[in-house]
Amino acid sequence: MTILNNMADLASKKFMTFKNYLYKNYGESPGEMLVHTGVLGWILSSAAQVFAIVINDKIPAKEKMFLIPQEFADAAVNIISFYVVTNSFTSVGNKLVKSGKLLTPKLKKYVDENKIKDIGKITTDISTGMKGDVRDDFMKFKGGVSIIFSTLGSILSCNIITPLLRNQYAAKKQKEIMAMRNEKSGANESVQAPKQIANEFVYRPLSMNDYQKMASLKFSGNNLKI
Amino acid sequence: MARQAFYDVIPNKVIESESLQRGIAWVNKEISTPENRLILGATALMSQPFIDWHNKSVDDNTRKVSVCRTIAKIVAGTFTGYFIRKGCIKAIDKWSKLPTSVNKAGQKIKLNRLNTLFSPSNAISDLSDAFMQYKNALGTIVALGVMTITNFLIDAPLTKYLTNKFVAASGGLKHDNSK
Repeated sequence: MTILNNMADLASKKFMTFKNYLYKNYGESPGEMLVHTGVLGWILSSAAQVFAIVINDKIPAKEKMFLIPQEFADAAVNIISFYVVTNSFTSVGNKLVKSGKLLTPKLKKYVDENKIKDIGKITTDISTGMKGDVRDDFMKFKGGVSIIFSTLGSILSCNIITPLLRNQYAAKKQKEIMAMRNEKSGANESVQAPKQIANEFVYRPLSMNDYQKMASLKFSGNNLKI
Repeated sequence: MARQAFYDVIPNKVIESESLQRGIAWVNKEISTPENRLILGATALMSQPFIDWHNKSVDDNTRKVSVCRTIAKIVAGTFTGYFIRKGCIKAIDKWSKLPTSVNKAGQKIKLNRLNTLFSPSNAISDLSDAFMQYKNALGTIVALGVMTITNFLIDAPLTKYLTNKFVAASGGLKHDNSK
């Protein structure tokens, strides 16, 4: 019982540390929270994709050896493009406010009264030493700008860059798999199968049949974006 | 140096417009991950189907299914993503009370083990902006965990159902004679 009590105490302390960490780090940075939870969402959805392949009995072990690394590569493209683009946008938004490039009249008055130098330099932080109502206003303004920039970044990365990259990547991989399958079936059917016809089949656009064959390998497809 | 050069290009700006200031304050207060998911869903509907429609690597039928599937995926994902995030944030709000918390009648809420389950010890007031953002963050993390399960239970079958409906509504597929 003592061991169980100690474990419960430890878990309770760790949970409190986790909650306090979230409060301290995300309480004043909603834009960063959007980026980090977005990345976590991509990681979990990618993990679910891999898990879906691992537990799928319809996929032979040999295919799994190819599909699992492919899923990891797909996940890496999604996560890296999301993080790099969205985080850069959020960071620019935060920096514009912190460096004093983007201000409200109230914050401008504060900057002038306190004779803050080097406005617009990336090393400048106008919030250093800021207290009271002005600090509240600053945090609210910075939070709003940060959310707007992170939302713009995530629109660009999730809805434009990632689909373009994914389409290119998926088409390339699908053709590789179909080519592999054609080579196998060609070898089984006839040793003297004309090479030219096989090549012509490999490089034409994917047909509906090809698409369905691919879908049967990946029953979950890209549904698992969360 | 390159980073500073980038910032130097951007002119210094004081936002004089009161409506714009109010708009930014509103975004800070009202927009969190559920709303972000809705915005992403709406803009995804405006961009992704067109990207898929212009994907020259696949044939016409495949492109049609791909567009229908993308729309279905966005609708299903946005629907579940929004409501699960919203629900989890609401649950966290219910179970994150502080000594300053009051009910609708303005009376202090009696704290117990359940309604303080997610309360951090370093928060001072439940009315602060930071505490609201904390609840949004924790609610979203819980929602992401929930969604790894609902992805299989709701999103995947709903996407399949909607894809079939959209393909049928768009006139079905042309007979493929290529094989």
